[in-house]
This record gives sequence, structure tokens and C-alpha cells, in this order.
Amino acid sequence: MVDLIAAFVTGLTAGGLSCLAVQGGLLTGSLTPATSKPARKSARRHRRSASVTARPILLFLMSKLVAYAVLGILLGALGSMLQLTPTLRALLMLAIGIFMVGNGLRMLNAHPIFRYFTFEPPRFVTRYLRRKAKDGVTAITPLFLGALTVLIPCGVTQVMMALAIGTGNPIQAAGLMVAFTLGSSVVFFAVAYLASQLGTATVHGFNYLAAVVLIVLGVVSVNQGLNLMSVPLTIAQPRGVAGSEVRPTPVAAPGEANLLTIAALPFGYEPEQLHARADVPTQVTFVSDRLYSCSRALIVPEWNIQTILPETGTFSFSLPPQAPGKVLNYSCSMGMYTGQIIFSP
Amino acid sequence: MKQVYYVSDMHCPACSMLLEGIEDDLPGIRCIAASYHRQRLEVDFDTTQVSEAQIMAAAEALGYRLTLRQG
Repeated sequence: MVDLIAAFVTGLTAGGLSCLAVQGGLLTGSLTPATSKPARKSARRHRRSASVTARPILLFLMSKLVAYAVLGILLGALGSMLQLTPTLRALLMLAIGIFMVGNGLRMLNAHPIFRYFTFEPPRFVTRYLRRKAKDGVTAITPLFLGALTVLIPCGVTQVMMALAIGTGNPIQAAGLMVAFTLGSSVVFFAVAYLASQLGTATVHGFNYLAAVVLIVLGVVSVNQGLNLMSVPLTIAQPRGVAGSEVRPTPVAAPGEANLLTIAALPFGYEPEQLHARADVPTQVTFVSDRLYSCSRALIVPEWNIQTILPETGTFSFSLPPQAPGKVLNYSCSMGMYTGQIIFSP
Repeated sequence: MKQVYYVSDMHCPACSMLLEGIEDDLPGIRCIAASYHRQRLEVDFDTTQVSEAQIMAAAEALGYRLTLRQG
């Protein structure tokens, strides 16, 4: 339930703007019939009422919602068949991050090369849609284009898609995608409707805002990917004296095994950095207490440990003696929350 | 007659879709293809039915300025 709320809020904030930036063109396309010659004449005659523009937007968003629910089911089914390894997940996050940054820079017109970070719908599709609109089948256009947004998911949507695969369950994945799409639809509708009423200046303003949000989220995604790969120089990685709070923990007496306890909390792991004695066995125990955050999805890449911690309970694993200087990194499955164990003589 | 134009103000793939819609509004357009990636519009048209000025005006009405590509 908490995951669904988080997905909805993500859609309502970053997702809405990001989706609008990437998919707004298709929505514009679905509004095209309302601004074509016959419609313009009709509008002049009857004065454009709010429902003239609200209806295609709503049809577009409803169609999009259904399409993403179906996509969620497919992704969940895919996830149930394909277990993403931490490395694969890290590469996915890196690729998503680069795609998001590229799209943000495209929207800021930073360089022509960034135009290639977006896809152009096939010409036969756009021609088909135009012809349908010309034939007067106006309801089909926004419905079809709404469904087509599946082909050009925005960066944040792709993160949700990755999460949906990660659930490994078609129903959960569909719920996640629906919650996210519902959240983004609120922003989508508000901005698109206002833009159609107030002019394109509003859209341009939001485009710039969305571009900045995309770039920031892209950098976060790249950072998370690097975290998952245990690359030491990332923003979230604890770096000893480099600022993050580090709480040294007592090391085991010589010859005794390390017994390490880490609390999994809603916003990370406590302590973030643990010290342990090298050359003796180690038992690591994660403790959770009414935990509903993504820190439950624990990954220890080096030992190929991937597990969902209990909402309340413990999860333990043992390590053989480690060499002095060894640093063992762990994180949540998205690489947002990280921690490490440092082995010293 | 076949002409290739540089299009300023294309900011997303939907712009291509809108520009290609010119063929629905003007007679004599044999083939039209817009590219957001390359910011260009290729039009093959029958000069006895439609003029270049009409095509440029149609694009301008949609908010795009066409510049004839040289060479």
C-alpha cells in the first residue's frame, strides 16, 4: 500500500512534469482535431467550451491509464520470469539516468545531438491518426495516442517500469503503474488543460521546469546505479571523513567472530558504516521494525544477496573471514540507501 | 517540385506530426516528411496546384518558420 502511495506521489510530482515533457507532444496531437480548420470554424460559431478541450485530454489519460495497467501486468510477468541481478539492475539505472539527463538537455536545447534521446512515432501511425481525425472519428485519436504513450515512456516512468519488473508480480506491478499514472495524470491534465486555455507560454515554462527536474532525477538515477555497482565515488556512498555521519562500532576481540547488527530504517540503514575485524568469520543481521520503505529490498552485490527484509523481524547472513582493508557495500535495490562494512586488522 | 526546408521552433516529435498535416489542408502535395531529429521538412508538390508561398504560410500558421535549405 505504501509503495502505491509513493508511486502516486512520484507521479504527482516529478512524474507528471517528466511525462508531460516527453509525451506532451502526443497529447498535442490528440488535440489537433479541435484546432483543425473545421473545428476552428465550429469553435468560432459556438465558442469553445471547457468540455471541448477537457474531453480529449480525459480520453487520452484514461487510455493511457489502461495501457499502463496492461504494461504493468506484462512487466510483472516478465519480472517473475527474469530475476534482475544487482549488476543488471545497476546498468538499467545507469541507462535510465543517462536517458533522463539526455532528455532534459534536449528540452533545454543544449545541443542538437540530444534530439536523438526521444523517439518519433512511425509516419504511418501519425498519418493514420490524422486521417481518422479528418474523417471525424475524433474520439479515437486521443484514445489511440494515449495508448501510444507506452511507446515513449518518460524517464520517471521508466524508473517505475523497472520497479514494476522488480516486483516480480503482475498484480503488484500493475498496481504500481496505475498509481503512478494516476498521479502523473493529475499534473498532465492540469497543465494541458491550462495550456489549452491560457496558451503555450505555460507549457514552455513547465517544459523548462520539467527539464531541470529530469536532469536532477537523471543524475540521481546514475548515482543509484553507481551505488549498486559499489563504485566508491558516488553522492550517497559513505566516505568516512567526507561528511556523512559515521558511527564507529566496536570490533570483535581477536579470534572472536564479528556479530554485526544493522537497523533497516524508513530512510536508510543505521549505522551507515560499520567496522569489523578482518580474518574472522562475520555474521550480519539486519533488523526491521514495522518497516514499509524500499530499504526493505536489500542487496549485497558482492555476495549476490538479494532479499526483501520482513516488515518486522530479522535477516542474517554469514561471511567467511575477510581480508584487512576489505570494504563490503550494501544498498537497497534502487541504490538510494547505502551502507558499508569496513574490515580492519 | 521537391524542396527541403530547415524548420526552426520544432521542439518535440509531435511537431513533425503537425507539419505533415499540411498535406491534408493543401492540394497538390505529393509527399511530405518532417523530421524533428534533423529539424527539416521535405515536400514534393505540384506547382500547378500549390505554391511554395502557400506551403510556407501553412507552416507559419502552425507556428513554424521554414527556411529553404541551400545545396
